[in-house]
Amino acid sequence: MASLGELERAVMERLWAADGPVAATALRDGLADRGVALTTVHTVLTRLEQKGFVVHDDARPRGFSARSTRADHAAELMHEVLGQAGDREAVLARFVGSVNADEARMLRELLAGGPGTSADAAR
Amino acid sequence: MLPATAVSLAVLAALLAWPVPALLARARWPRRDPLVALVCWQAVGLAGGLSIIGALLVHGLAPWGHSLPEALGAVLTGHPAGDPVRGDHWVALTLAGVLASELLGVLLLSWVRTTRARRRHRELLELVVQPSADLPDTRLLEHPAPVAFCIPGARPLLVLSSGMVAELDEDQLAAVVAHERAHLREHHHLLLLPFVAWEAALPVLPAAGRAHAAVRELVEMRADDVALASLAGRVPRRTLARAIVAAAGGPGGAGVPDGALAVTGSATGARVIRLLEPPSPLSAPARWAALIAAGLLLLLPTVLLLAPAF
Repeated sequence: MASLGELERAVMERLWAADGPVAATALRDGLADRGVALTTVHTVLTRLEQKGFVVHDDARPRGFSARSTRADHAAELMHEVLGQAGDREAVLARFVGSVNADEARMLRELLAGGPGTSADAAR
Repeated sequence: MLPATAVSLAVLAALLAWPVPALLARARWPRRDPLVALVCWQAVGLAGGLSIIGALLVHGLAPWGHSLPEALGAVLTGHPAGDPVRGDHWVALTLAGVLASELLGVLLLSWVRTTRARRRHRELLELVVQPSADLPDTRLLEHPAPVAFCIPGARPLLVLSSGMVAELDEDQLAAVVAHERAHLREHHHLLLLPFVAWEAALPVLPAAGRAHAAVRELVEMRADDVALASLAGRVPRRTLARAIVAAAGGPGGAGVPDGALAVTGSATGARVIRLLEPPSPLSAPARWAALIAAGLLLLLPTVLLLAPAF
């Protein structure tokens, strides 16, 4: 049994790949290899709608579609997550922020000539 | 006549608002022991808030009693003031209330905002990241920029971009993951939260910004230290330094929108220098002296608040 997170990802993959709105039954058939019930598909779709990633139309049966393309989603992600604006820094801990070209060169020179090996050997 | 307690607390608050953070931010020893320095910063922040609010309360409540517990008891049980209540008492009480609610309110607001942003980021990420086959707690994000980060919280998320994986060798990747795991395990976001909040609450106080920058740098150095201890390679310091330089100057780095990156940049340089030319660790007596000083710093305003006025 796949977790909800995995199912959300699988459903989004299918919605992003589809040309138009997709019915819940078609999604269930597409996920047949995972043995997913129609109610589970509806649960996943409701969760995705609450998070603002999926919208549905009023056709019969209801068609579901992704609210933004995969590329837009990725762009929003990089902007929101790595924008580092204001108190964004408090939200996540990033390994290193990007530095300007001068400092990057200075750091590379430091690494090339630095006595780091001896420091490690002394430990 | 101001009670001497209020004056002492006010002097302590003034010291903690400017000279003490300035000295601590400029000192060289914190990079020798980031953990002890982080404890000292928390003590400075807490003692500062306690002493300024305490000074105002002790002065404002002076007509009701000779000590804060006595005066508070008198007010709460509805006893009339023993001495005449003047305008400056009301001003002090109002200021104490405003300052206390601003500091706590901003802290709460900051917590709510970051929690909400973290949930949003997690939702955005969960749709596109794949679990990593090699590292159980790590997710992979398809993106050319070399980035690694973790989102702390009840359900932490540790993310590596495909650009980062392509840029680094196995040992370096392990160093990056160990660094991020250290942030999560030691809850560094909680150490940072009050300083983020108080910088927002007190933009006129240069010490607030200085303290925030210092704590941010120390948290990174502490995570570097923890990562080093868990790394198996022959030259862990050099491995981690290489990973930092690769991530900072990688080809995709320019694609990431920049905000407060100048600050991050200099801190990144300090981290690399510290890894390549490690300062000698703080001696045990110096460590204890710093920890005891932090303890006394907290004890002093507490005692002044609870002791009878003199």
